[in-house]
Amino acid sequence: MSLTVQKATLAPHTDSETGAIAVLAVFAGDEAYGFPLSAVREILMPPPLTEVPRAPEHLLGVITVRGQIITLIDLPKMLHLEVEQHEPYGRVLLVDNGEELIGVAVDRVIQVYRMEPDQIEYASAMGTELSEYVVGVGRVPSDSSSGREDMLILIDPVSLLGA
Amino acid sequence: MSDPRDNVQQEFLAEAQELVEALSRDLLLLDEAHHRNERIDPALINEIFRSVHTLKGIAGMFGYKHVGAVAHALEDLLDDLRLGRTLVGPQLLDVLFDSVERFQRLLALEDPQSPEEEPGVQAYIADIRSIGTEPEAEEGDPLDKYAIEPAVLSVLTEYEEHRLRACIREGLRLYRLRAAFDLTAIDDSIETLRDVASDDAEIITYLPSMEGGNEDTIELVVLLASRVPEEELKAHFEGRYGKIEAVQERTHLPTLPPRLTSIPSAAVSRGPQSEEDQSQASIRSVANSVRVDIRKLDHLMNVVGELALVRSAVDRIVDRFKGESTHRQSLMELDRIGRGFERQLSELRTGILDVRMVPLGQVFNKLARIVRQAAREHDKDVRLVVTGANTEVDKLIVEELTDPLMHLVRNAIDHGIEPADARTRVAKPPEGTLALNAYHKGSNVVIEVEDDGGGMNAHKLRETAVSRGLLSADISHELTRQEMLNLVFLPGLSTSSEITDLSGRGVGMDVVKTNILRLGGMISIASEQGIGTKITVTLPITLAIIRALIVTVASRTFALPITAVREAIPYVPEEVRTIQGREVITLRGETLAICDLADLFGFRGSSREEGRFVVVGSMGNRELGFVVDGLIGQEDVIIKALGKSLSSIRGFAGATDLGDQKVALVLDAPALFTEYFDGPDALRALETRL
Repeated sequence: MSLTVQKATLAPHTDSETGAIAVLAVFAGDEAYGFPLSAVREILMPPPLTEVPRAPEHLLGVITVRGQIITLIDLPKMLHLEVEQHEPYGRVLLVDNGEELIGVAVDRVIQVYRMEPDQIEYASAMGTELSEYVVGVGRVPSDSSSGREDMLILIDPVSLLGA
Repeated sequence: MSDPRDNVQQEFLAEAQELVEALSRDLLLLDEAHHRNERIDPALINEIFRSVHTLKGIAGMFGYKHVGAVAHALEDLLDDLRLGRTLVGPQLLDVLFDSVERFQRLLALEDPQSPEEEPGVQAYIADIRSIGTEPEAEEGDPLDKYAIEPAVLSVLTEYEEHRLRACIREGLRLYRLRAAFDLTAIDDSIETLRDVASDDAEIITYLPSMEGGNEDTIELVVLLASRVPEEELKAHFEGRYGKIEAVQERTHLPTLPPRLTSIPSAAVSRGPQSEEDQSQASIRSVANSVRVDIRKLDHLMNVVGELALVRSAVDRIVDRFKGESTHRQSLMELDRIGRGFERQLSELRTGILDVRMVPLGQVFNKLARIVRQAAREHDKDVRLVVTGANTEVDKLIVEELTDPLMHLVRNAIDHGIEPADARTRVAKPPEGTLALNAYHKGSNVVIEVEDDGGGMNAHKLRETAVSRGLLSADISHELTRQEMLNLVFLPGLSTSSEITDLSGRGVGMDVVKTNILRLGGMISIASEQGIGTKITVTLPITLAIIRALIVTVASRTFALPITAVREAIPYVPEEVRTIQGREVITLRGETLAICDLADLFGFRGSSREEGRFVVVGSMGNRELGFVVDGLIGQEDVIIKALGKSLSSIRGFAGATDLGDQKVALVLDAPALFTEYFDGPDALRALETRL
């Protein structure tokens, strides 16, 4: 995946003048992830889950939101990340992948960051295997007062289509 | 999405698509009539002309330059045809049939003006222009035979005049019918008259008369041509319409119909005489149907679903207060209202479902074109026999069916039906028969694609499967003949001859099967070598709402479509026996295979407690008992599709909202049956591996 393609992925979500992007940061498993805010339709308390037998492990099942049936995914499992301890998730993001709404189970929502282009490092430049779902990594000031930076794994909403 | 330009564009495309479909349908009728050397109904040619004419008009408005240009050239050709300047022949039919494909392709273009298409379009137009057969020279004007007054002749359109001549030449007699029509419904009345007349007589023209009408009615003089004896014609029309008389042959002076000088203006504008007016009339007469975006119907269906949830919530409240004596009167009333509401709601639901129903004929017409085309490409004689084209199914199903059926039809012609000489050698009629049959069976629709060709070679299928490594040689020898035939549905199995342009398009039988399964249907093959092949597709009539039996398995709730359920009986563990590794019970003297859903879905630690049930399902002629933990009851549920990533998981047709944020997965009974019966374990394993 070339750099330009990945920039294009975020393009619909960026401010056309400054190139800045609003990112919703969430915590799931042991990592912090970022979703383009404009792709997040809603944040919900987890509705009752109906598991779907025979489904791959990262597809937790289906939930219903106002009559709509929505697939719920587990982010770390989708990215094949080893998670030491997985607490029961605390929130569900409804993410628009361009074709349907997908539910993403997360532990908690951190905050919304406004990220400048120079805060984003694209996945192709890092050579990671995650690049199917991941646009890149964003650097944000840590929410602890230690002064160091936190990393957000930026998720490409469109990639959730094939989740 | 709501860009009005887009909407208008969509409207145009939908209308153009309808016109092209109508064109295709009419061309098939024309082809058939020509093939059988029957008299070609001029109304049919007129219909074709009108479709092309309208298409030309709207294409011009929306900037579909190529569509417009092709339609224009065709219009000229068709005009020649209906005016008798050219005749129907194989070359002309070919060009006309080509137009259908061409229109569809041009309509699908991203850029309707695309210069890349220019050369192809020009070449095609040149083809159209090159067609022209000389009609026989005329000997004397047949019109001279009758004493038709010049005032009438002068108002005939060129087409009407041509038809008049043609009818006289064919030896038809001319008649005048005087009939009064209601002014407000005149278009409909004339359409009705055309229908009534069509078998016995052709309507050449009609002119308003001065007599007989009053404020609300107008009397028309209708000029008819017919070969039916005068008495019969009288019997047919006079009671219903008015006086009918033969037009005098030219021996003495005719009685003139009134001149057209002092006709009320309303009558003039309402009496369609010119071509333009005629097409106006036909537009008006179809205006009582509307085209609706299917998504709007889906939305309505969702609203009905929500209403049903509201209704059950009210029910629950009523239940809660039952037994309390304080508000008995009100509760009874509420209960009564609730039942009335339920009735209306189910009317509404049926109504919406009914609107979604379309006849399978829509698909069959497309298939008829494929049959013709494929038969020509392969130089095979194929007779298509269609039954049950009126069978209605949900619009969504019709759309999803087109591709799989197209593939089956192509397969039948490509691999099934033999060339004429090979058929003659085995004493079959040289013309092969391909039958498309549709009929209702319970709440399913059955579609059969049947050919009388060479049949499938089960052993060859098995060898191919083994040689491609899809099947181990050991297992292959244990297969029954039916299982060998079913190998054709394995992905990756296409016999070498299958890679032709005919059945090509990269779709194999596995994709056909997947598509049918996705619709909640079943597909099965019966084939005898030397005799033919029959593929049977069984589909639910509608996808949206089903009545379901709600069951529990390992504390999870599932919905089983009631159409697949015959009965439910208590499960008695002591009665279960094992035959060939499968659990069976005996029900009324018959052996019934059973399948524990908890095992099938891999729910570990499911409590094998007492009080479980066997739900006996039936599909076609097969029966299978599903073992469940509990029965909750019957309910009408709205099936909603699972999201994209879950849709490929076998065994589930969708999910349904039971209210209170509870979701039940809807079991895909046909898929579970197929999984249980058709796939020996070895094959199932293969399928998942591939």
